[in-house]
Amino acid sequence: MKTYPITIMINGRKEQLDVSSNLTLLHMIREKLALTGTKNGCEAGECGACTVLLNGEPVNSCMVLAVECDGAEIMTIEGLTESGEIKELQESFIKLNAIQCGFCTPGMLITAYAFLKRNPNPTEAEIKTALVGNLCRCTGYERIVQAVQDAAHE
Amino acid sequence: MEKTKKIPEIIGTDVPRVDLEEKANGEAIFTDDIQFGNKLLFARIKRSPNPHALIKSIDTRQAENLPGVKAVVTGADFAGRIGLYLKDRHIFARNRVRYVGEAVAGVAAISEEVAEKAVDLIRVEYELLPPIFLPQDAIKPDAPLIHPDLGEYEVVNFIFPEPGTNISNHFKIRKGDMGKAWQHCAAIVENEYYVPHIQHVPLETHVSVAKVDLTGKITLWTSSQSPFAQRDLIADTWGISPSDIRVISPFVGGGFGSKAGVTMEALPIVIAMKVKGYPVKLRLTREEEFYTNFVRQALLIRLKVGCDADGNILAMENTMYWDGGASTEYGVNIARAGGYSCTGPYDIPNVNADSYCVYTNNTIGGPYRGFGMSELHTGIEQCIDELAEEIHMDKVAFRQRNLVESGDILATGMVMHPTGIKDCVDKVAGAIEWGKPDIPSDPHKKRGKGIAAMWKAPAMPPNPGSSVTLKFNSDGTVFVSIGGQEIGQGAFTVAAQIAAAGLGIPVEWVRISKPLDTDNSSYEWQTVASRITWTMGNAILAAAEDARKQIFKIVAEAWMEDEKDLEIVNGVVVSAASKREISLKEFVITGIPKENDQGWIGGPIIGRGMFMPTYVTGLDKDTGQGERAVVHYTTGAQGFIVEVDTQTGKIEIIKAVSAFDVGKAINPDLVRTQIEGGMMQGISSALFEQLIFKEGVLQNPNFVDYRIATTVDIPEQMECFIVEVPQNDGPFGARGVGEHPMVPTIASIANAIYDAVGVRLKGPPFTAEKIYLAMKDQRQTGS
Amino acid sequence: MINPLPRLPEFEYIRLDSVESSVQFLKEHQGDAAPFMGGTDLFVALRDRRTHPRYLVDLKHLDGFDELSYDAKQGLAVGAAVTLNQLISSGEIQEHYPILRMAAEQVGGLQLRNRATLVGNVCNASPCGDTIGPSMVYDGRANIIGPDGMRSVELDEFIIGPGKTALQAGEVVQSISFPLPPRQNRGTYLCIGRNKLSDLAMVAVTILAYPDDGSLSGFCFRIALSAVAPTVIIDEEAQALLSEHAIDSSTIEKAAQIAMKTCKPIDDIRASEAYRREMVYALTLRALHDVWKMLHS
Repeated sequence: MKTYPITIMINGRKEQLDVSSNLTLLHMIREKLALTGTKNGCEAGECGACTVLLNGEPVNSCMVLAVECDGAEIMTIEGLTESGEIKELQESFIKLNAIQCGFCTPGMLITAYAFLKRNPNPTEAEIKTALVGNLCRCTGYERIVQAVQDAAHE
Repeated sequence: MEKTKKIPEIIGTDVPRVDLEEKANGEAIFTDDIQFGNKLLFARIKRSPNPHALIKSIDTRQAENLPGVKAVVTGADFAGRIGLYLKDRHIFARNRVRYVGEAVAGVAAISEEVAEKAVDLIRVEYELLPPIFLPQDAIKPDAPLIHPDLGEYEVVNFIFPEPGTNISNHFKIRKGDMGKAWQHCAAIVENEYYVPHIQHVPLETHVSVAKVDLTGKITLWTSSQSPFAQRDLIADTWGISPSDIRVISPFVGGGFGSKAGVTMEALPIVIAMKVKGYPVKLRLTREEEFYTNFVRQALLIRLKVGCDADGNILAMENTMYWDGGASTEYGVNIARAGGYSCTGPYDIPNVNADSYCVYTNNTIGGPYRGFGMSELHTGIEQCIDELAEEIHMDKVAFRQRNLVESGDILATGMVMHPTGIKDCVDKVAGAIEWGKPDIPSDPHKKRGKGIAAMWKAPAMPPNPGSSVTLKFNSDGTVFVSIGGQEIGQGAFTVAAQIAAAGLGIPVEWVRISKPLDTDNSSYEWQTVASRITWTMGNAILAAAEDARKQIFKIVAEAWMEDEKDLEIVNGVVVSAASKREISLKEFVITGIPKENDQGWIGGPIIGRGMFMPTYVTGLDKDTGQGERAVVHYTTGAQGFIVEVDTQTGKIEIIKAVSAFDVGKAINPDLVRTQIEGGMMQGISSALFEQLIFKEGVLQNPNFVDYRIATTVDIPEQMECFIVEVPQNDGPFGARGVGEHPMVPTIASIANAIYDAVGVRLKGPPFTAEKIYLAMKDQRQTGS
Repeated sequence: MINPLPRLPEFEYIRLDSVESSVQFLKEHQGDAAPFMGGTDLFVALRDRRTHPRYLVDLKHLDGFDELSYDAKQGLAVGAAVTLNQLISSGEIQEHYPILRMAAEQVGGLQLRNRATLVGNVCNASPCGDTIGPSMVYDGRANIIGPDGMRSVELDEFIIGPGKTALQAGEVVQSISFPLPPRQNRGTYLCIGRNKLSDLAMVAVTILAYPDDGSLSGFCFRIALSAVAPTVIIDEEAQALLSEHAIDSSTIEKAAQIAMKTCKPIDDIRASEAYRREMVYALTLRALHDVWKMLHS
C-alpha cells in the first residue's frame, strides 16, 4: 500500500514517518513509535482510552488518521509526564486512589488536563460532563472526579 | 493464621498502592504493550455466523496462498477438549458449532490486516441445526441435544451432568419437610424473575501472545487473572507437563471474571504450533469481547417463600435455570454456587432447591463478578420484600428477624460462622433514613427507598491452594513471589502490607515480584472468588513465619540467646533480653560471622509458605447436604434512595449506601474503592446493561448500544461502611469483598423503585422505558 | 452477524489543494470516493464494513471550510470543518442560536466533539442526529458546492431519507448558514437517551418560538421531532394549532397530543414504538412549557 511521509512533533520531539492512508493516530503512536501508554479500548471513539492531545485538544486517536497529522503537535501520556504538565493531576489521582487497573488512566488524565486548562475552577458537574467520554469499569468514577477537583484546587 | 499478639499497625492502614505511579505515567505494561520485535505475527479468527450447525467443509486454500499468511488452522489441527470443571469445549470447533462467534479457523500473518483478509477467504460450509436460545426450551424432553456426548466428558466429582439432556449440572437441596412447612405459613409469595446476559466489559479486551519453540516449550503472554490455572488446563488438554508451558501475565486492565479460566488464550497456541519460534498475537476487538468470549449467564429464577404469622421464614422453594450457553465448563459451578447459597443470607429450615446449568446456543456463560449471586439475590431480595409486605411487617425488621446468625444450620447443613450482616443492614438502613420518606425534587417525581442483604462464599473446588516465597535482598528488601494477580483490586498492595506485617519490616522494603510468571512465581489457584486477600494473605504469613524462624535461629546462634527473646521491629532484629540489635540487611544474604573469624552462621534466607483450606467436604448428590459446603461467607447489605421521573420513567440514584463485613480491612481505603467500583458496576447492571440477542446473534456488541455507567451516572451521594467480625482463619481476621458490592444492587434498586412508584419489573435493566410503561400499565389496570 | 474489522480497511487518503479539484475528484470517482470531515461516523461505518470507498477525500483544510462567522445582518455561517466544540465555545452562537449549542453538547464526549462537525452530523442524516432539529428550526440552508457550481438548499429539502441527502455526484456541503433568528425568540432542545448524557437520542424535541403579530395567538412556534421518523420531522399541525389558538396549558397539552400522533416511531434495540410515542408527548409538553415560560420572562 502507498505510504505518505509526514512530519510531526510528538511529545516535543520532531519525527518523520511514512504512514499508510488507513493508519490511525492510535496505531501510529502505539506501533510505529512504540509509545504504549495510549490504550486501545474500542477503536470506535466511545471509550476514551486512546485520548491524546492533538494541537492541544483532546481527541480519540482511534478516530484520527496519522496522515492528517502532518505538521501537527501530539502529546501523549509519556510526553505530558516528561514535561511535568500533568504532575498535579497524577499526584491527586494517586493520593485519592483514583486508579485501579490503570487502563483508563492515561486517557482520563489527558482529558482532565485539557479540561482544567480551559476551566481551571470547575464545578463537580462540569468535571463529570467533561469526562463523560472516558469510560472506567473499576473505580465507579467517584475518586476520579474528586482527584480532578483536588488538582484544580492546587 | 491468627496471631495471638496484637495486630501490627500497618494492618488497617491506608497504605498507598504500590502500582499507581507507573499506571499514572503510562509506563505500566499490559500484554498488548509488550514489544516482540519483527518476528511477531498477528492472528485473526474465522467465526461461526450460525448459532447451531454442523461443519460440512472448510476450504482454507485461498487463505493459505495469500501473501503474508504464515499459518492457517482449523479444528482438524487439534482434537483436545478443555474445561475447568467439565471438559466440553474444543479449542477450534470440530464437526459442530454451537454459538455465533465460535472459533472455526485461525490465521497468523504478518499483520492484522492480512490476517483478516485471509479470514475472509476461508470458505466454510454449514448444515444448520435447530438452535435453542432459552433454557426453558433446552430442558424440554424433545429438545435437540447441543452436546450429545455429554456423558463422555470428563467432569469433576462435585458436578452432576445429566447425559442425554441439555443439563450439564443439576444441583439439589432437599432439606426439611416442605409440605408440612407450607401448611404452617401465614403468607406465601411466589414469583419468577429473569436476569439477562451481561458482559464484563473490561477496558482492556482479551489479548494473548503464544509462542511454541522448536523444542516444544510453549510460552503464553496473556492478560490473565489465572496464569497457573491456564497453564494447568492447557497442559492437561495438550497432554504435556505444566513445566513445558510458561504463562506470563503483566498488569491486567480489568478482569471481573472474564480473564479467569481459558477462553481465547488457547487459540493462538494452536496457531503458533504451525509457526514454531514465532510469537503469535491475538487481540480481541471490543466487538469480539462482547460476543465471542465469556458473558454472565442469564438466569430464570422461580421462587416460592413462606413465613409464619410472626414473620419467621419457614420454607423456600427455589428453581434456577442458568443459561449456560454453548459451553458450561466453568458455568456449571455457578449453578452449583447458586444452589448451595440458594436461600440468600437467611435462616430457613425447609428448603427445596434445583439449580440447573443448561446448554443453549447463546454465547458462553462464565465467571462474572458475583458468580451467580447478583442474579440469585435479584430474585431473593425482591421476594423477601414482597413477603414482608404480605405479612405486614417492616422490610428491615423482617430481614433482621430472619438473617443468618452464628450457629444457624444453613441449607446445606453447614453451621454458620460469626457474621456482621445484621450490623450491615442496620448501618445501611440508618444511612438512608429508612422509614422516613424523602421529598422529591419536583412534583412529577417520586422517591423511594430500598434495601437488600447479601452473602457470598468463594466458589472454588474444595482444594484451591496458595503458595508464597519470600526472597530477601542484600539491603533487607524482600521480593514477595505470589501467584495472585493485580487486576486493579489492589492485590499487590495488600500482599505487601501483609508481608511487612508478618515479617516486622517497613512496607517500603517489600516488593512484589512481577510480572506473574508460572516458571518463577509461586503457585496460586486463581485470582477469583474474592479469595486472594484471605488465602494468599495466609500463605504470605506462613512464609513470613518460615523466614522469621530461619532469621531467629541464625541470630540466636550468633548471640547465644534464646530464640523466644527475639523479635523483628522495623527490619531490625532485637533481643528483649540483651537489647542487642542487628539489621536484617546485615545478614539475610551473607549470614553472621562467628567471633574471631571462625566461620559463618546462616546464609541466604528464603521464606516459604502455603495455605489451602482442608475442611470443605462434598455435598450429597441428592440432598445437597454436607458437613462444610464452603470456606466462609462474606455478608453485607446495600440501600438505595431513588427518584423516578413519572413523566419519562427515568431513574436518578439519590443515595447509594453499602456495608460489608470484611472481617478485617487490611487497607480500608482499598476496601472502600472496591465497594465504590462494585456498587457502580451494580448500578450499571441494574439500569443500563443487557446483551440483546436475536436468534443467537448479538445485536449490541459495541459501546453505542451496550450502555455502561459513565461519570454523569454516579449517585448524588455514596457511602460505605466497613464492618469487622473477624474471620477465624483469615490473615488478621480478613475476608474478601471484591465481588460482593455488585451483588445486592439490582434487588436494592428494584425495591426502591417499588417503594417509589409501586411497580416491580420482571428483571433488569430497569430502563426508563420499562419503568414508564409499567407505571402506565398499572394506571390503566388499576393494579 | 456483526463482524467489524480489527482496524480501518485499506483506502487512499486524498488531499487536494482546492475545492474545485476536490469536488471534481469526487465526481470522477463517484461511488468510490467519500468526503472526509470529522470521520466519527465514517470510521465506524468503515470498520463495520457498511461502506468501502477506495478514496477518502479530506475537505477540512479547504478554503472557507473552517470558517465560523456571525454577521449582525446576515446571520450565521458554520463551515463544514467547524467542530462541535468550536460551535459550543462560540459566544455568538450561545447568544443568538443557543439551541444549536444545546444540541451539540449532547453529541458524544469532549474528545469526539473535537472532531465531529455540525455539517457532518447533518450530512450523516441520521434520524436521530442531535443537531438536525435545531438546524431546521433555525431555517438552516446547506450551501453546496459541486463540479457544476454552487447551490443552496433548505435543510428539510436537503435531507431526503435516513442517511440520504440531496447531494449529487461530486457535491459537498461547504457550510450551513442560518438567517438571523426571529426577534425575541426562545427555544430549547430536549432529548432522552439511555444514559444521562452522550447517548444517541431515543427521542428528541426542538422548539423555537417567537412573538408574531401575524398569528392569531400572537406567537409562532417551530417544532421539530427527532428519532421518531425516517427523518427529522416538522410538526406542522402542532405548529398551526399554536399559531391559531391562544396559548395556555390546554393548547400546549393539545399540541403535545398532536405531536404524539404526528410522529412515526419504530421499535428498535434502543426503544420501542410505544415508549417513543409517549416520550414525544412528554418532551413536547415539557419543552413547550419551558419555552412558554421563557417567552414571558
